[in-house]
Amino acid sequence: MTLEQSEYQRLVERIIELSERYRGDPNACEAILLELRTLYKKIPIYPGIIAMLLPKVVQPIEVDKLKEGEEAALVLKDGRMVSGKVVEIGPTEIKLAECKQLDISTPPEKVSVRREDVREAKLITRVVLEKEWPSLDFEEE
Amino acid sequence: MPELKLKRGDVVMLEGQLSLEVKGGEVLISGGLRGKGSKVVIPRAKSVPLEVEEDALVTYTLGQDGKVEQLSERTIPREWDALISEIIKRRPKVILVMGNVDVGKSFFTTYLANTMLRHGLRAGAIDSDVGQSDIGPPTTMGLGIFEQPAALLYEVPLSSAYFVGSMSPSEHMLEFVVGVKWLVEHGLKKADMVIVNTPGWIFGGPGRSLQLYTLETVDPDIVVAFQREGELEHLLSSVPPARVRRLPVSAKVRSRSSAERASLRAMFLGKYFEDAGKLVLDLQKVRLKRCYLHTGRPVDIGTLGVQAQVLHAEQMPEGVLVVTKRKMDEDAIRELEARFGHVRTITQGSERNVIVGLTNDANELLGIGIIERIDYERGQIAVLTPVKNAGEVAAVQFGSMRIKPDGEEIGTVKQGTF
Repeated sequence: MTLEQSEYQRLVERIIELSERYRGDPNACEAILLELRTLYKKIPIYPGIIAMLLPKVVQPIEVDKLKEGEEAALVLKDGRMVSGKVVEIGPTEIKLAECKQLDISTPPEKVSVRREDVREAKLITRVVLEKEWPSLDFEEE
Repeated sequence: MPELKLKRGDVVMLEGQLSLEVKGGEVLISGGLRGKGSKVVIPRAKSVPLEVEEDALVTYTLGQDGKVEQLSERTIPREWDALISEIIKRRPKVILVMGNVDVGKSFFTTYLANTMLRHGLRAGAIDSDVGQSDIGPPTTMGLGIFEQPAALLYEVPLSSAYFVGSMSPSEHMLEFVVGVKWLVEHGLKKADMVIVNTPGWIFGGPGRSLQLYTLETVDPDIVVAFQREGELEHLLSSVPPARVRRLPVSAKVRSRSSAERASLRAMFLGKYFEDAGKLVLDLQKVRLKRCYLHTGRPVDIGTLGVQAQVLHAEQMPEGVLVVTKRKMDEDAIRELEARFGHVRTITQGSERNVIVGLTNDANELLGIGIIERIDYERGQIAVLTPVKNAGEVAAVQFGSMRIKPDGEEIGTVKQGTF
């Protein structure tokens, strides 16, 4: 059967699409994932509606159109990313509260890390299908 | 050739690969009565019991891993005998056999159907394990009628089949449940009773759903539950207790790894397509089913005005479907989206190797096939299949697997692609 039997596929595709669109923008990704969690908790039987709503979580906007009380994520020219609630919009400044700041400047190709600086480590395994279920690891079309 | 002189009541375990001939007397193989001249072949990795009804002489030839072992007692548990006596007496119409993978459901089905045959009752067996179907090729569920005794379920000739289109009921629940019901109805027209051998997917939401909705739609008179440690009780709680018969799992049951299962599937599919030929079907005459393609109103491709070599287009309630020679670029898709809303694109060639079911006008499966090509300009679909008569084919049902003619699985089809 090649007809979809639920909207779950549409939801997965939307998540993939958004993760590609906001790659390198952890604030946007976090907002989308948190909202996905909320939507899924509230309406797990309607994956199609969740898929329809997810792109509305993060949308590009001109700075001039931001309003006080809205939540915004700003990408600064020096590579920093700031997000928070807009509390004041002045002619030269935007003030945010409940802020988070991320530095996503590109690191050099090689990085040395002092062992004592490491709080925790996580092992990353790619090509997990090939390793865990090789009989289903078909050539990609 | 080695021979065995056997006395009434003797029990012998036959392990494949071996071939055996009854030279005199009467024996039961998998519960099926065999007299003088009867020949049986047991393939490798399979084993069946032989029980002597009347003093008998048998000859045999052993192949790779083949073995003949005389046992001191019967391998068929007493509980089976009691249940089968009850079935002979009560003559239920539908018996559903349930259990985890590798608990001996197929052997029980065979043994029960053979025993019914000995008592003058014709049993139909439905094998609904789409990935490891003994009756009918993989991706289908099959119905076989026991007209003759069978040592193993796959010996039973296919009477009817239903195309599921995948190696697993996962994401194919509708086909599965509809198919089981369809086969039960057909089976009851041809046999005194139908035995439904269900897949071993018993845990988790989808597994529970599969079993419970099958139970609801089939409404069996008896549910035979094979379990080791009560692993079916969560499902049996939904069945009226009077219909449930619990049976222990035999210690002799052999389990198969997923790699072994995949290799067996490839072998069965390869064998199925051994004598296949190319069948060219006219898309004006056959219906395409279980897909979006050819379900809309044709659109004049000249009016689309996009920078792409469009071969076919149709307007559907969900938007427009466009088939192009090469993958359509994003700008062209956006142009179409602005005019038609949702755009579904198919690139010519993406249909290659997709498994399909070929049915007649009565929705009966004539056989399965592998798409070689859809020629959108000529309106033809070329399918590799053992089905010989194109005139019989009324519909092509799209499946969700890509298969090579040698049986190798080479991919899956994202639902909604076609």
